[in-house]
Amino acid sequence: MITLIYRGIVAIVVFFIIKNIFQEEKLTLQANATLVIIPLILRLLMIK
Amino acid sequence: MQRKHITGFICLAVALVVMVITGRNFLSLKDLGTIVPGPGVTEQKMLSAYFDGIEGTNMDTEVYIMEGSSPGGKMLILGGTHGNEPSGYLSAIAFIENATVESGTVYVIPYTNHSGMTHNDPQEASPQYIHIPTDNGVRTFRYGSRASNPVDQWPDPDVYVHAASGQQLSGSETRNINRAYPGRPDGTPTEQAAYAIAELVRNEDVNLTFDLHEASPEYPVINATVSHEKGMSVAAEGVMELQLKGIAMSLEPSPTNLHGLTHRELGDYTDTIPLLMESANASQGRLRGATNEALALTGIDKAYVKSEALGFLYVPYDEKGHPIEERVGRHLQGIIEYTKAYSAQYADAPVTFIGVPTYDDLFLSADEADLGGVQLGRYLH
Repeated sequence: MITLIYRGIVAIVVFFIIKNIFQEEKLTLQANATLVIIPLILRLLMIK
Repeated sequence: MQRKHITGFICLAVALVVMVITGRNFLSLKDLGTIVPGPGVTEQKMLSAYFDGIEGTNMDTEVYIMEGSSPGGKMLILGGTHGNEPSGYLSAIAFIENATVESGTVYVIPYTNHSGMTHNDPQEASPQYIHIPTDNGVRTFRYGSRASNPVDQWPDPDVYVHAASGQQLSGSETRNINRAYPGRPDGTPTEQAAYAIAELVRNEDVNLTFDLHEASPEYPVINATVSHEKGMSVAAEGVMELQLKGIAMSLEPSPTNLHGLTHRELGDYTDTIPLLMESANASQGRLRGATNEALALTGIDKAYVKSEALGFLYVPYDEKGHPIEERVGRHLQGIIEYTKAYSAQYADAPVTFIGVPTYDDLFLSADEADLGGVQLGRYLH
């Protein structure tokens, strides 16, 4: 159960980071957000 | 479409490519390769046959059963308790692929913490694989982790409380199966796997259990056998035989106040005599230099040679390192000598076997150029 809650939280964070990628004006900040979502999505999928 | 939207899609595409590449790599780590059962293997089953709570999980692992033609005692070999200690599981695999049991029954679990074999310890720069050439081509083995995969067991508490004793350890030890014995059927996945092994020992009436490990050269308990107090006479006789063969081996009593380990809990909670062996593995040490597959297989490391000169180590260390043949040979010769000692002292339930590569076969008689995998590969199919 705790894993499902955890994955739900991760999914919410991933959603807001992707939203942030499209809102940021600066490419460096978009790239920064891109780096953040890679491990989060791998975690969401329970791959890593 | 605004510029930020275009760059946003490009960023997402890059992230997708990186995720596919790394994700495929991480998933591939779950493939531990194939073990080729030798002529002595009479049956294979999964550990979940002894406790169905781990069935279908990444904690379930293969058990190889080698039954002799004559009745006798029962013995269990645990390899891969810690996935970053390769001589442990390679010794178990060499036993499976070469030994023929004559009397008694031998159970071998090459990957005791199966989950721990499917990832690497973070920030250790460990190699993902080790490769050993054999007559049938190069075989690939995983280099795993000391602990269960966090994908299988999460989160770690700040403090790990050993259920049976109340002992408190670092939270990271929660996923260490050798701090989880005797295990719990309703515990964490790691505790459940430990419980399944304890159930195997109880249900099969295992008389003698080996747990094969490696340790850092700077760790005091090294080139050593740790024995529960009820195994001291067997271990003492075995140690003397090993020393007569020129193998430096010390005998350490299992501390009564250090809980969760095989040599303590399997001795306390089952009828088996548990022995734990340690050899020297530079690739898991704190003083090591470059960490790679060559270090895991040869042990050659100038940082450890310097550490030896400074008096920091508990094993001799020179430019020749401690190759995998020496480390596997120590374990297999240890199994041979301790089993002989057990069979002599418990003559009503002996365990005898042939075909196991000895320390001499693997290490002493090998060409120096073949050390580091080639000589071991001659005993793997």
